[in-house]
Amino acid sequence: MNDDDLWLDALLDDELDAAASLALQRRLAAEPALQRRLDERRALREAVRGQATRHAAPDALRAQLTAMLEPPASEPAQAPSRASAARARSPLRARLARPWAGALVGASVATLCTLLVVDPAALGWHRGQTVASQQTAEASEAVSAHTRALLVDHPIEVASSDQHTVRPWLSARLNFVPPVVDLAPQGYPLLGARRDVLSGETAAALVYRHGAHVISVFVKPAAADAGEATRVVRGFNVIERTQGGLAFCFVSDANPRELRALADLVTPLAGQ
Amino acid sequence: MQHPDQGRFATSVLPHLDAAYNLARWLVRDDHDAQDVVQDALVRALRHFDGFRGGDPRPWLLAIVRNSAWAWLGARRPGDVDVHDDELDAALVDGAPPSDPETLAIRRAERLQIDAAIAALPIAFREAVVLRELEEMSYRDIARITGVPIGTVMSRLSRGRHLLAAALRPAASDSRTMA
Repeated sequence: MNDDDLWLDALLDDELDAAASLALQRRLAAEPALQRRLDERRALREAVRGQATRHAAPDALRAQLTAMLEPPASEPAQAPSRASAARARSPLRARLARPWAGALVGASVATLCTLLVVDPAALGWHRGQTVASQQTAEASEAVSAHTRALLVDHPIEVASSDQHTVRPWLSARLNFVPPVVDLAPQGYPLLGARRDVLSGETAAALVYRHGAHVISVFVKPAAADAGEATRVVRGFNVIERTQGGLAFCFVSDANPRELRALADLVTPLAGQ
Repeated sequence: MQHPDQGRFATSVLPHLDAAYNLARWLVRDDHDAQDVVQDALVRALRHFDGFRGGDPRPWLLAIVRNSAWAWLGARRPGDVDVHDDELDAALVDGAPPSDPETLAIRRAERLQIDAAIAALPIAFREAVVLRELEEMSYRDIARITGVPIGTVMSRLSRGRHLLAAALRPAASDSRTMA
């Protein structure tokens, strides 16, 4: 497999925006091998969707759960045989009848493990709102710029790992000088750079690779020292940091530790 | 004692019982165990239902089922959920460009073959494939359900499909063993 498969899958899954989809369609028209890959992916998808077993909940399970949610008083009159059958099959019925008082008491040790390990609050569901409200518009914009660049598969205007090529290219086009350094020895090869626009201002976007992850580093003059912030925006990790009069924004699906390691390598070079 | 939310819970969550069971069944790969997992998950879902406000209950429920299944496997079959991305990489075969006969073979694959190929996937790939192909969840929902970034969902899904294609490609695997 290769990176092309990600885009072919995203196309089939209808997860590409119109521009990215158009760009990929153009490539497909020009590259028969790519079109064959797409045909194979489509055949696979049709085979899986058409053939793979969708396991339906067994009647016994459905009866147990339905019985659990029936009002206890009317239950014997409504469905005595089903309720008693469910009760005979599993202690679950008793466990579920009083979910608030009885669930923990009646739970097996294994269920207790589950209860301790799995807390829906930890899924980020309820915190989603709070986190969202904390996200500045800028972090969100940076993530959009990062994903847009990835989806059209042209994240780079000047493709070079040579900092002596990239730096003059950016300097000639920007009114500030971002630090440009290839960090291949540290595991972050520089792929190149492009210009992007964040909050109406032109920013340098340096593109690094780390393992299978692409990392965008947006740099622009800092309006004020905003300190440091780490966020998760639409599934991407974002680290914002101000140093040497420059505002940095690191965006990637790489994990926060790997992203921070790059930030620690790049930001000290600001202003040099 | 009946919780006042129970009626609302029944109308929003029970319609998704098949989806919940399907996911649990594909993750633990056993009918009886899957029922246990769904029971656990529903107890948890009901206990936390007052924290669920609107939105689509299906991904919310599937996230609880998914985590119940992982916890259940972690307690009983830890080998099933002991996944590292490096090992997942090692599971990949070379990506030779497909040929038309191979595509035809995939198209003609039968239910048993396809079920076996999905069941054989490492769990991280399997859940992505099941959530996408059978439950038709968006990348964003899959990311929330499985607790990983969207980029990871994309690569797991892609790798999972790649492994499925390789498993269903009889001509290619034959020639590879011959060589």
